[in-house]
Amino acid sequence: MKIRIFQVVVPLIALLIICLYVVRLRSGKSTLKEIFPTLLFLIGTCIFAIFPDPVSDAIAKLFGIKSNINAILFFGMGLLFLVQLNLYSNMRKQEKEITQLTRELAITEFEKKSSNKFKGFLYLVSFMELNILD
Amino acid sequence: MLQNNEIHVFIPAYNEQNVIEEVVKSVLNCGFSNIYVINDGSTDDTVKLALKAGANVIQHTLNRGAGAANQTGITYAKRKNFNYIVFIDGDGQHYPEDIEKMYDLIRKENIDLLIGSRFIKDKETVPIVRRLYNLIANILTLGLKQGKYSDTQCGFRMLNRKAIETLNLEIDGFGYCSEMIWKSELNNLTIKEISVNVRYTEHSLEKGQDLITGIKTGFDLIWKKYFN
Repeated sequence: MKIRIFQVVVPLIALLIICLYVVRLRSGKSTLKEIFPTLLFLIGTCIFAIFPDPVSDAIAKLFGIKSNINAILFFGMGLLFLVQLNLYSNMRKQEKEITQLTRELAITEFEKKSSNKFKGFLYLVSFMELNILD
Repeated sequence: MLQNNEIHVFIPAYNEQNVIEEVVKSVLNCGFSNIYVINDGSTDDTVKLALKAGANVIQHTLNRGAGAANQTGITYAKRKNFNYIVFIDGDGQHYPEDIEKMYDLIRKENIDLLIGSRFIKDKETVPIVRRLYNLIANILTLGLKQGKYSDTQCGFRMLNRKAIETLNLEIDGFGYCSEMIWKSELNNLTIKEISVNVRYTEHSLEKGQDLITGIKTGFDLIWKKYFN
């Protein structure tokens, strides 16, 4: 089998990134749940880079696609769609959190102002009572 | 006899400087003094004019949407143990005079969520385009609800204590209209519609939902139901 440059470079880069993630995992900066999808993707990339033809043929056979190049393209598009869906879901969660924060801030500020207004009213009443008594 | 202190009126508003003073004053003139304008991050003088008219103003620092503003009202009402709250649009579309008959009905029949409907009588006052958008919204809401409603998108609604305690709206945009009905049904709240009057001005026609917003609302509902 003739070894092409990308069959060396891509696995090396992927392995380097895997090592960095493992270091992060061991130092407690990331959890396995957080890095697992990325590790899976990097391992998959390594295997695909080393055995591009067998892997693409297997994917084409699995999905019933005639050409292995089309299979890779469709597989890539499917993967991108899943990533997009995940990003959208995360974005919606963050939007929800922003709304909750905005709400809490709004109500807290309103209650503070109402309480200050009431205190001001009480001071005024006390002041007037004192003046009347005098 | 109407106990106007029992009813707390919430007016979600976004950039309504042209009409908010009039809306607040018209509510005051009907005898309701507990008025809260929920300013949803307006960039104009809505806050200043609402305060000038005599309303309390709860301010969102960021614009989050009509649904978010409604839920802020519900959250505040829950914390303050309000018994009845009513939402009225900030664009002057609704008549505060209808609040009293809503209150009579909600108490008489012990309804949890009372929705104002623009289509029960005299639907010709509603522009055709708005009727079409509402038809689309009603169809979209169809898959999520069991009951039959003539107007799922009207923001003029009254809630009793049980509904205030139960509801937790999560859709920030106009989809809250359908979400409120859907979640009320899920929680076995009593829902009824009542005919309300409506007026459309040049200003109010610019507000509210358009086709793009309607499509986004539909998408929000589907996402909420099947992916959340």
